[in-house]
Amino acid sequence: MIENEIQLKVQALVDGELTGREAEELLRHLESDTELKALHTRLTAVRGLMTGAELPRALPESGDFYWSRIAHEIEREDREAKRLAKPASNTNWWLRWLMPLTGVACLGLVLSLQPTTMPDLDIMLSGDHELELSDDEIDVMTFNTGDDTMSVVWLDYSIDLQQDELELWLD
Amino acid sequence: MPEEPAYTSAEDSQLVEQAKGGDMQAFEELVSRYRNRIYMRAYSIMRNEDTAVDLSQNAWVKAWQRLDQFHGEASFPTWLSRIVTNLCLDELRRQKRARTDSIEAMEEATNPVENRMELETVDPINGLDRKELRERIDAALAKLSDKHRTVIVLYEFEQLEYREIAEKMDSSIGTVMSRLFYARRRMASLLNETLKRDGLIG
Repeated sequence: MIENEIQLKVQALVDGELTGREAEELLRHLESDTELKALHTRLTAVRGLMTGAELPRALPESGDFYWSRIAHEIEREDREAKRLAKPASNTNWWLRWLMPLTGVACLGLVLSLQPTTMPDLDIMLSGDHELELSDDEIDVMTFNTGDDTMSVVWLDYSIDLQQDELELWLD
Repeated sequence: MPEEPAYTSAEDSQLVEQAKGGDMQAFEELVSRYRNRIYMRAYSIMRNEDTAVDLSQNAWVKAWQRLDQFHGEASFPTWLSRIVTNLCLDELRRQKRARTDSIEAMEEATNPVENRMELETVDPINGLDRKELRERIDAALAKLSDKHRTVIVLYEFEQLEYREIAEKMDSSIGTVMSRLFYARRRMASLLNETLKRDGLIG
């Protein structure tokens, strides 16, 4: 006998997974099909045997030992979670900010020591062509500290030119 | 002197609330009540003592961490049973990735004789008490492949619906139905074999 859809439907009927009109139609069909009716009876019997027939088992180790391992793991994971969630100490906080602050201070110092004349804004694209940029194509951002002891100037030379415009320029 | 909370006489729901507040003793009482049941479910699926102990303990740890997600829609042991079942399925998937299916499992899926086999009639009630029957069913379950045993444990013992089993096993409902049908047919055959051998049925 090859397992087929109708057998699986009979099983679904036994399991209560087939309901409504489909279930009613199958039940009517079973009345006239002795083979399927027998299958329905056998599946019902196997189900009856299996229901609640899980063999009870006791832990193969003492309850105290079992719990001690659970408690240990819970405590370990709680400690780990707290460690990850804990805010950094004051020292760590300063160390975390020291590097970028030093970097910014150095940049500010370098820029403040440069001549105040405007930089040469000509950008060489190749040996034969030059691209000139006007001032409005440069993004300039400045930042002054509260007491004006330090200034940071950010010059952005990046330009967003369409390819065709670029070609025109190159011509 | 403050009164000791009576953990042993408390309802599950009380213990869960206390445990949610960080009371480890309340949680220990819940472990004490259901440790065998959770271990039993893990063993039914995994068929290995050590693995079942480990997975059941992991389930308790996860339960502690997720207590806030338990709102009492199902009973506490049912909720916990779902956790251990999921861990077992994850472990089976991990094991499957680590090895190819056993020869037995491959034969089960492809053996044309088995696939043609008719579902046998089993009527062992007359000759067996409930405990003996459970032992024989347990022995027969041990002979099924992981996937067939899992589907029958999830359906018959964990009482999940086809749809839920399909979701947990990452398969279609049709596959679940087919596996369950095969598993039952095999169980009937194995039970008849043992009952006939012991002269309990003709």
